[in-house]
Amino acid sequence: MSLTRFLPTPSDRMGILWSLLTVEDSVIVEYGPAGTTHFSMGLFGELGIEQENRLFTTHLREEDVVMGDTSRLENAIKEVDENFHPAVIFAVASSCSAVIGTDLRGVCTMVQPKVKARLVTFEQGGFRGDYAAGIKEAYRLLADQMVKAGAEKRPGTYNILGASIGAYRCKADVLEMERLMKEAFGMEPHTALCLETDLEKIASMGGAEVNLVIRQEALPAARLLEGKCGTPFVYGAPYGYQGTLDWLEAVGRQIGRPVNPRLAGELKKRAMETAQYRMYGRMLRRDKTQAVLCGEYEAVKGLGAFLGGMGIAPTRQISAHSLAPLENAEEGVQYLPAEKERVDLMRSLHRTLVLADDTARRLLEGDNTFIRIATPLVDGAQVAVHMPLMGPRGADMVLETVEAYFNTLR
Amino acid sequence: MDGKELLARLKTLSRIEDPRKDIHGLTYAQFPGTHCPLMGAAMAVRGIKGAVMMIVGTDECAYYTKHMTIHSEDWGGLAGRCVSVTIDQHDITFGCAKKTEAAFAELMAEQTPEAVFIVTTCVPEIIGDDFDAVADAMAAQYGVPVMAVHTEHFKCENHMPGVERTITACFGLMEGQEKDGSVNVIGQRMGRFEDTELFRVLGNAGVRVGAQLPSGCTVEEIRRAPAAQVNIVVNDIGLPLAKKMRQRFGTPYVFFDKFVDPARIAAAYENLFGFLKLPMPEELAALRQAAEKAAAEAKEQLRGVTFMYGNTPFRCLECCAFMASIGMVPQLIQCHGIHAEDAEDVRRILSSADPYMTQAANISPLQYIYDELHPMLYLGHEYPMRLRKKGIAQVHTDMGGGMLGYEVTPYLVKQLLASAEEAREIRKGGMPQ
Repeated sequence: MSLTRFLPTPSDRMGILWSLLTVEDSVIVEYGPAGTTHFSMGLFGELGIEQENRLFTTHLREEDVVMGDTSRLENAIKEVDENFHPAVIFAVASSCSAVIGTDLRGVCTMVQPKVKARLVTFEQGGFRGDYAAGIKEAYRLLADQMVKAGAEKRPGTYNILGASIGAYRCKADVLEMERLMKEAFGMEPHTALCLETDLEKIASMGGAEVNLVIRQEALPAARLLEGKCGTPFVYGAPYGYQGTLDWLEAVGRQIGRPVNPRLAGELKKRAMETAQYRMYGRMLRRDKTQAVLCGEYEAVKGLGAFLGGMGIAPTRQISAHSLAPLENAEEGVQYLPAEKERVDLMRSLHRTLVLADDTARRLLEGDNTFIRIATPLVDGAQVAVHMPLMGPRGADMVLETVEAYFNTLR
Repeated sequence: MDGKELLARLKTLSRIEDPRKDIHGLTYAQFPGTHCPLMGAAMAVRGIKGAVMMIVGTDECAYYTKHMTIHSEDWGGLAGRCVSVTIDQHDITFGCAKKTEAAFAELMAEQTPEAVFIVTTCVPEIIGDDFDAVADAMAAQYGVPVMAVHTEHFKCENHMPGVERTITACFGLMEGQEKDGSVNVIGQRMGRFEDTELFRVLGNAGVRVGAQLPSGCTVEEIRRAPAAQVNIVVNDIGLPLAKKMRQRFGTPYVFFDKFVDPARIAAAYENLFGFLKLPMPEELAALRQAAEKAAAEAKEQLRGVTFMYGNTPFRCLECCAFMASIGMVPQLIQCHGIHAEDAEDVRRILSSADPYMTQAANISPLQYIYDELHPMLYLGHEYPMRLRKKGIAQVHTDMGGGMLGYEVTPYLVKQLLASAEEAREIRKGGMPQ
């Protein structure tokens, strides 16, 4: 099963690039063929990422590949340093430079004394896993190299670790978490790795009271920050009403504060209201409720639990990315590396609630009910930032389609 | 960035001896950089109905290419004719030929392509898998034409070699035919040939158009392409295929690029109808007169108008030479090479100006050049508001991509006149600060 008919899973390098491009005051210099950089503009533009004066390519010529001449990279770094004065230059390998074995770190070590910007290297060329491995490395390296120890403590603030601009509704999810944290504890966000952040905010992350880790790929970064800055962390993501309450209570336990009773009460009430769907399910004569989820691991897990609580048992939970970068993936969530398996699965479904991406939607028979929870986007765009997948607002959105799903069942 | 320093690094046209070495980028760090030949190959396969493009490359190469095709009707959308074999660390170590063969088997089990282009990218080319052999083996096994197209970007400067190699690979599809008096059109990348003046003129003269590569044809039309009396090559990328066809099938070719100068267009028409052994259509005289009149009338308003050339659908140096011939002043030209066919145009440009030469697709440092050269016009893709702030009007010429013949001249002149007027408006009361 070697053929890819649709969009392949983005590589580690792509995950690194879209993470780093959200860090203001930094510049990325790619050591590779110019065409890849130019080609990437389509995807990054779709993700809403600005690239001009943030992303450069050195291009590579045959003599660079054959002879291993790295002067092109050295000159490009010096030039960017002189012309744009970024605080940090991320030197990112390409598939070509990775295959020929360019010692990117060595080049940067040699150039570092000649430039003012701090040089940080990413030697992944797209062969060390998919984007989950890439964003994990980006979080880890930023936490390790960019965060200063001994930052002034700012009680009442928190960081979000694990935001990924490549994830569907990422920005809306971050805003929803910020809204919940404000309402639950009166806390303010410091910054999010990696979304609309900058080097100053990253440097001072250690001042936050707590780090909220919303995907496992950010756990190594969280541990680094715990060790370096003494910042405790809470791992988990708020999906569904009960899931949101559980998440807030976990944060509350960590920071030693109770969840705002009004918010807790509202979430409890909403969670209880969803119990009626179990009854609806039992009343069906012909059909049996079932859900299939395919998307980011955390969303699949969290939304799967939300649906399970309503009696809509997830029959398959498929991670859109490899589970290898995760430390403790639940057994119920699988990764299907061969596209054909995913295609066959989607084509086989009937009268199922399917939470997945647009590619899956195109494969489904008409008797299924679909909710988009993942990229890539094929049909339409992602505009709204008030329509998260997380929190009660995300649960509300899912619930609307759950109602529609029940309408299709007998 | 200092514009003076940037300019000091560049050579002017008169000092270019070896274009590959002497025409260099403004900076080492480029944005956005040139398109890659993989994209060029995709542009070509898009126009060949019934053909599948199978990319062999990294997830990233495959992702971006597929991403470009998913809303294209020509490609068949998301489930369309662009598929891939994505390679990983294991494939780099052990080769990706076997994986490609397995993917090919899957493809053939699910689809019935009329031809398959296996398009290899940088990494498979570095590791050196023999994809020509793979293509031959797949063709023999499945009885379908399979062509390998090599699109490593580190051996070329932009996407054009990808288009060129793809259409040249179509030679393998062709079979000897009786000549039928038709013409093939080779090298049209943009627009529909049916919308061009040249198509109308040929139709009025009773000349049938056969294969159009890569702007829209079927595999069957490519197979029968040697039946043509003449190949019309409308861009340099069509020359290798035309030369091969001339050698194998005895099909002569006429080079009929998107020339702007009426005299060049006239020569191309004469050449074409000479090979067709047909009299020159009478309508051409009126068309030429209209083109010459447009150019002559524009001289007064365009004389002394300075410009920087970025990119247009036209032939870079011929277009610049034409503009110089009507009194405009080229200050900087972005291009990737100077070919033997450009010698006359170079001479014509140098007779009135000696512009700086640099590579294309690196717009960031241009901002500093604008402050030094203060051109009135910029031809090509740029951010229009940024240009306006510098007192520069953008010249839009994309519509010219669908033109061939005398229609090009008045179109370009009209765009130049409008933009020159806009530049004067922008600069009223002095240059914008």
